[in-house]
Amino acid sequence: MQGPIRNIVVYIDGSEEAISAAQYAIALAKSTGARLYALYVINTRALNDLVKARIFLDTEEDEYHRDLEADADRYLRHVSKLAARKGLEIESLKRSGTVHQEIKKCVEEFDADLLIIGELSRIRSRRDEFYNESERAMRLVPCSVLVVKDEERVWDIYDALPE
Amino acid sequence: MALLDLISPEIIRVPLESKSKEAVIRELLQVLIEAGKLKDFDAAYEALLAREAKGSTGLEDGIAVPHAKTDRVDSLTLAIGIAPEGIDFRALDGKPSYLFFLMLAPPDQSGPHIEALSEIARLTQSKSFCKMLRRAENAEEVADLLTEEE
Repeated sequence: MQGPIRNIVVYIDGSEEAISAAQYAIALAKSTGARLYALYVINTRALNDLVKARIFLDTEEDEYHRDLEADADRYLRHVSKLAARKGLEIESLKRSGTVHQEIKKCVEEFDADLLIIGELSRIRSRRDEFYNESERAMRLVPCSVLVVKDEERVWDIYDALPE
Repeated sequence: MALLDLISPEIIRVPLESKSKEAVIRELLQVLIEAGKLKDFDAAYEALLAREAKGSTGLEDGIAVPHAKTDRVDSLTLAIGIAPEGIDFRALDGKPSYLFFLMLAPPDQSGPHIEALSEIARLTQSKSFCKMLRRAENAEEVADLLTEEE
């Protein structure tokens, strides 16, 4: 019988929290049999905003864009290896644009039942400017969202998975 | 890592004592050294000056966002300084700068770096909020204004 979770999207942004999220997603995909998609979004919206705000020079925008491309490849490769080490094949998705909107598009495109993201800030600010992309995505997507916490516990869960 | 998680009174200097662009950068790096967030002052200083040489990060309306990538920090690192009297940071509009957000990031964390800078850009769009920051009397007040916990 097919369980309630068939397709999982885990969002990877290059942070330690996102790697923990990926490890938990791998454990969950293995135990449920769900298909796992790892998504990295190159934040071209923020790059454009930083050029408009004149925080970035045009040359800096190009440089950071190349860095983000390289980061995307490196982190997606890392997550694929983490999954392969535990005998799980995953699909890597690299997108560009406004992060929370791209996350929503992928959730819809792959009919995800669950979005998994890394731990959010422990401080709950009243300032809207501090809603980061993960929080915006959490509010926007139509599916359930799992926020992964406790890095050490997650590591133990991942480590205990059969290879 | 969200920008909020980087903010604490230890990384905030109010008021800045410096009177020049280079001195502000040095003073904020010293704040990070004292907070245990930075180990190699010279490498970070050189990286920031190299970025400034390409074009000032002193923006309009009294805000400056000196930033650089360096492998001498382990994670995204922020220091904040307030200069109520204003400092000539060779800003784009030629006016003095009052609010300084200095950010250092490891080369392999461009995603969080860009998102944090983007949050600063959004935050400083509010002129009334920037005025409140300029009037803050100490680091705790700045941290409280920035975080405004629920």
